[in-house]
Amino acid sequence: MALNGKGRRVAVTGMGVVTCIGANVEKFWAAIKSGTHGIGAIESFPLHDLYIKIGGEVRDFDPNERCKSKAVILSDRFSQYASAAAYEAVQQSGLETPFKNGERAAAIVGSGAGGLSTLEKAYEDIFVHKKKATHPLTLLRIIGSTAVAHISIDHGIKGPVFGTVSACSTAAHAIGLAFQMIKGGSVDVAVAGASEAAINYGSMRAWQAMRVLSPDGCYPFSKRRNGTVLGEGAGILVLEEMEHAKARGATILAELLGFGMTSDASDMVNPDIDGPARAMQIALAEANLAPGDIDYVNAHGTATSANDINETRAIKKVFGAHANRLSVSSTKSMHGHCLGAAGGVEAAVCVQAMREGFIPATIGFDAPGNECDLDYTPNEGRHRDIGYTMSNSFAFGGLNAVLVFGPPSN
Amino acid sequence: MDDVAEKIIAILRKNMRNQEKEITLNTKLTDLEIESLDLAVIVFDIEDTFGIQIPYNANEEMVDFATVGSVVERVKAVLAEQNASNAAA
Repeated sequence: MALNGKGRRVAVTGMGVVTCIGANVEKFWAAIKSGTHGIGAIESFPLHDLYIKIGGEVRDFDPNERCKSKAVILSDRFSQYASAAAYEAVQQSGLETPFKNGERAAAIVGSGAGGLSTLEKAYEDIFVHKKKATHPLTLLRIIGSTAVAHISIDHGIKGPVFGTVSACSTAAHAIGLAFQMIKGGSVDVAVAGASEAAINYGSMRAWQAMRVLSPDGCYPFSKRRNGTVLGEGAGILVLEEMEHAKARGATILAELLGFGMTSDASDMVNPDIDGPARAMQIALAEANLAPGDIDYVNAHGTATSANDINETRAIKKVFGAHANRLSVSSTKSMHGHCLGAAGGVEAAVCVQAMREGFIPATIGFDAPGNECDLDYTPNEGRHRDIGYTMSNSFAFGGLNAVLVFGPPSN
Repeated sequence: MDDVAEKIIAILRKNMRNQEKEITLNTKLTDLEIESLDLAVIVFDIEDTFGIQIPYNANEEMVDFATVGSVVERVKAVLAEQNASNAAA
């Protein structure tokens, strides 16, 4: 096993997700393949005067079943989702918990907003109910790095442990940094991704005030799209140095080949073409691939007017004539916009797509939106031989992160 | 120019980089360099000032938000609707 950075490759050996269409990879993927969405009326809190009343809430999730430690069970949902997804990913990887060589392992698991529902409850207790104290665990529940701290304790991960924060690119940044650490030789194993649990009354009011949410559904790239829909959950991968994984006989699900990160440095809400395009180009260059090698792009595809046109233009800039041969889709049409967790959930889609030669659909697609003229795999997924896949994450503020995956052996 | 229009123009000015620009009812919002996020803030400010709710979605082309005059008309319509429903109640 190469200890320095030279020639080290990065395998994906485990995946875990918690989403509104399935709280583990098996259920999630079955829903993706059948084109089922999990968006509906929000049920977990009273809506009061909200006029945006829909979201992609996680329903079949019991923390007592999915989280192993009492500390996590007592934690905020964003930590519970992360802990559950990490357990699923580690279990699939076949690594023993606690990790035998925890000093050579990293956990990089972020969240866009951390324990927002805990914060809301605490403020309600203080400001409305005039309680004398907040719940004693309030602070720990809120902190954005709590999820990853729980994961490090769950699995005995004693190397670099921290979270990333970059709104909708949070998970992709986490996975990308873990990839770089393994490639660079500082660790051999990493648990990486993100989680989000931001569907609560106060957060919905904030999103509603920004006027970017759809009142009826998430229809990326389509004519009738009228905003995004919030989802929640977690998406986490186990990444492992290739020889380390092979030596212990692990099943290699995919190879993570390239990571590109850039910033537009221009505007908080209006993305530009250059930043996302450069992130895709950097990821392709690191993967040593030509644009023509990519068969499937899991688009950021938020169903906002600004993202979908801009992303289409950026894809065309990078892929040129091959853009028309690409299969593109936004699975947010099914699981909603999981915000910080989106890139982790969608990385799992890219890996599963390659493993099964199946392109997931963009569901709810009536007709192509203005200037949206790629093959977005409308309404029905389809089988296609897939060589390499790309997962795009573009965040508010122009923070871009792109991952490129390949099959296990090449 | 009436009271509603004056209040709306004051709100627009507050959210403009160049607050000295001349504004008439025919001025297009795009000419005032008002973008989608600015518009969300402006609509919020209008709702707060007049105690009304305006359905506005940044993802849709809104003819009501093309010119200063069309915003004023929209606000007046919402105010009239609200007064009517208050009277009925």
